[in-house]
Amino acid sequence: MTIAQERVHRTLRIRRRSDAPFWLNVLVRVFAIALALLLVGIVLNFSGMEPIALGRKAIVQTLGGAYGLQQAAILATPLIMTGLAVNVGMRMRLWNIGADGQLYLGAFAATGVALFVKGPPALMLVVMFFAGAIGGALWILVPAVLRAFWNVNEIITTLLLNFVAVLLINHFAIGAWRDTGAAILSATPKLPYLLPSIGKSYMTYGIFIPIIMAILIQMVLHNTQWGYEVRVIGGSRGVAEFAGIPVLRHILIVLLFSGALAGLAGMIEVSATALRLSGTLSNNYGYMGIIVAALANGSPLGVVLAGFLLAALLNAGIVLQTSGLSVSAMLAINGVILIFAAIGEVATQYKISLEKIQESADDAVQIDAHHEIENETEPAVEIETEVQSRPEELQP
Amino acid sequence: MEADPQGESLVNSVRPALNPSKVLSVEMRHIWKRFPGVLANQDIDLELYRGEVHALLGENGAGKSTLMHILSGSYQPDSGYVRIDGEKVHFRSPAQAIAKGIGIVHQHFRLVDVLSAAENIHLGWGDAPWRVTPQILAERTEKYCAEFGLHVDPKAEIWQLSTGEQQRVEILRVLARGAQVLILDEPTSVLTPGEAEELFRVARGLAAKGRSVVFITHKLEEVLAVSDRVTVLRNGRVVSSCMTSGCTKRSLAAMLIGQEFVSRLHREQRAPGKPVLEVSDLHALNNRGLPALKGIHLSIREGEILGIAGVAGNGQSELAEAINGLRPIQQGTIRVDGVDLTHKSPHQFVDSGVGHIPEDRHGMGLVTSLSVADNAILRQYKHAPIAKGMRLDGKESLKFAKKIVEQSAVKVSSLREPVRHLSGGNQQRLLTGRETEVASRLLVAVHPTQGLDIGATEEVRSHLMKHRNQGNALLLISEDLDEVLIMSDRIAVMYGGKIVGEFEAGDVNRTRIGLLMGGANELEEAG
Repeated sequence: MTIAQERVHRTLRIRRRSDAPFWLNVLVRVFAIALALLLVGIVLNFSGMEPIALGRKAIVQTLGGAYGLQQAAILATPLIMTGLAVNVGMRMRLWNIGADGQLYLGAFAATGVALFVKGPPALMLVVMFFAGAIGGALWILVPAVLRAFWNVNEIITTLLLNFVAVLLINHFAIGAWRDTGAAILSATPKLPYLLPSIGKSYMTYGIFIPIIMAILIQMVLHNTQWGYEVRVIGGSRGVAEFAGIPVLRHILIVLLFSGALAGLAGMIEVSATALRLSGTLSNNYGYMGIIVAALANGSPLGVVLAGFLLAALLNAGIVLQTSGLSVSAMLAINGVILIFAAIGEVATQYKISLEKIQESADDAVQIDAHHEIENETEPAVEIETEVQSRPEELQP
Repeated sequence: MEADPQGESLVNSVRPALNPSKVLSVEMRHIWKRFPGVLANQDIDLELYRGEVHALLGENGAGKSTLMHILSGSYQPDSGYVRIDGEKVHFRSPAQAIAKGIGIVHQHFRLVDVLSAAENIHLGWGDAPWRVTPQILAERTEKYCAEFGLHVDPKAEIWQLSTGEQQRVEILRVLARGAQVLILDEPTSVLTPGEAEELFRVARGLAAKGRSVVFITHKLEEVLAVSDRVTVLRNGRVVSSCMTSGCTKRSLAAMLIGQEFVSRLHREQRAPGKPVLEVSDLHALNNRGLPALKGIHLSIREGEILGIAGVAGNGQSELAEAINGLRPIQQGTIRVDGVDLTHKSPHQFVDSGVGHIPEDRHGMGLVTSLSVADNAILRQYKHAPIAKGMRLDGKESLKFAKKIVEQSAVKVSSLREPVRHLSGGNQQRLLTGRETEVASRLLVAVHPTQGLDIGATEEVRSHLMKHRNQGNALLLISEDLDEVLIMSDRIAVMYGGKIVGEFEAGDVNRTRIGLLMGGANELEEAG
């Protein structure tokens, strides 16, 4: 038996932490986005652009003035609504990937009411509001029933219905409902009932709906028996069944509610921003809602912030395009920032430290960034995540 | 008095002749491991020899599992080193450890529920044959079963197996991969005495063939029954490492908890009250759709504990679920206080004063991602004062949770802390407290002390005993025969979905119970 020479060296260690203080959460995210901007800046610099001037222009035009902020708020509205739709499903570990389709159907229902029913504008807007919610809910009804009673994966069914939704909208927008009075080939007439603007601004009162919904969801989840049951089911279906909570009914209701939120996004979009229904109403808002919900990490109020961040980012992209950046470069920049934000999100769960280690001389510096397997009884500190399956567990 | 709560018969039956070779297979030196807030291992040294069964004894949180997770590659030590057969190793993953012949069977199984036993045994294994029809896997599995003397049905899917059977799959999986060092993490916590003895024989057999077996446990009699050497850990340090032959139960206990331990269970003498639970001719199916309960008759009176003894998978889990409205009933009736509750929902059982400490505290009992308060109110959230119309009163929730936590001595830093931050003992105290609060008439407790250390076990038991002394009925289902003997006023033995024998606590015949648990009664009847 040979004994290797011992010496002290330093090792970079990454460990899971149980709780991160609030200031650290904020700091890590800011740092992550700063890193992303630095990376983007370097790339732009080498492509012969002026990153600092461009950055200043983007920030000034998106967040620096009333116009930019209003545009961000307008764009954030559908993103927050679809983000909430995805967030609500995630509470029960359900994935509504079909917010895009539900958004279209919500807009479709609201448009139908607006075009073919007449009444006092205030009343009509209320009816359109509920029509939008019901339209979105109906579009997820089939996936919800399939999931609740036959355990059919909702990810696939909701996703596939998105494509059906666009075709359905085009069928009406190009066909029966087309605006024949104008030279528009693929949209309905302008809606006769629109959400009123706030004073002389570009914004309508529609921007308050997502904020009200976020507060409402937060309150329902934490201050009602129903919300409690949803949280129990999301935490453990086995416990919910043990306690006699009707799991199937809650799956159904939560998915329908998720669809209704996305449907409302469509109603607001068509009656406040686009003003006409067409097959291009949603700029992938449903899919971006998934990003928003993932960035928000569970809290409805986080969805509001994440939605606004994404909206500002998208608008900055538009500004950059007018400065000669290609669409693909702009999308790449957005992607880099979002990826870094997501990494920052995960990074708050870890602690990185440099430690002195006594090991044999032939060992190189090591980084063991593994997920430590949780042992339920010892130690008493938590190193378990919400993630249910980890690769190590399948590989004994 | 033939009762044998000390477990002496267990000790004598499989006590081996000691002759471990002196060839070192594993050497761990100066192992340190720190977790946030906990120093799990402090300067631990451990040697394993070929051909020995080495018991690692310690209470929950003593650092046994952490040390073995380091040896098996799941954790890396903060400092210190491991040598295997003289060669220094640094495992980055369990896969690297298994390649060096170190295999671990975890206390909480790592099996894929929807795959068969044979598929789980071959899962992720490079040496598996390229053609893997169910038939080939089954044959290979049968071969391993015969070789190691562990029987499982190769084609049964994991979710259909009892916990005891699942453990056999885990052990086979590790052995099939050629483990030279087999680590068993509290393996008997899910086994009956009979199954445990069988496991001891398997462990001895493996050692006899030159393997090293590490047996993690906090049960003293197991150390004496199975091991050649024992290392005792306390608070992350090695207290002692010695030959088992030089130890007694008393000396081990002293090392384990640092003081002599005296049980303080207090059973009040009381006349039996009126019947609370009456079950007659109960039939129900198990998860595989096969009959699990085949005509159960039992009754429990006020202030009485009926203990159910039996080997895992003889219908105990199904019985507990049926008596709480969680499992559909095929035939028969369940009455509580004379009221027919057959086919009623779990809510109606709760409203009739029936509480349930389930077998699986993580899968059924507690939502580990939710707070202590949220878990405490699981049975109460629909009732005033916590419920106010549709609303949930946060202040009342906290008040109620505080009451439960104080009554059951749950150690928490905050009521808003997630339950997963609590130790196993504290989780079980919380669960016990919540369910005894519901159980104003009957409490069904299934393996209430499984996996707990001596201190926590004693607390949970005395909590249950206090509940009985207050005049409530208790149905205690446990695979720990000693627990059933200590706690019960009456004992029923379950085998093959039936009650095959009943005893008053006064005239218990341990041997007879053991025979009945093994199905001996049926043979007698047949003959």
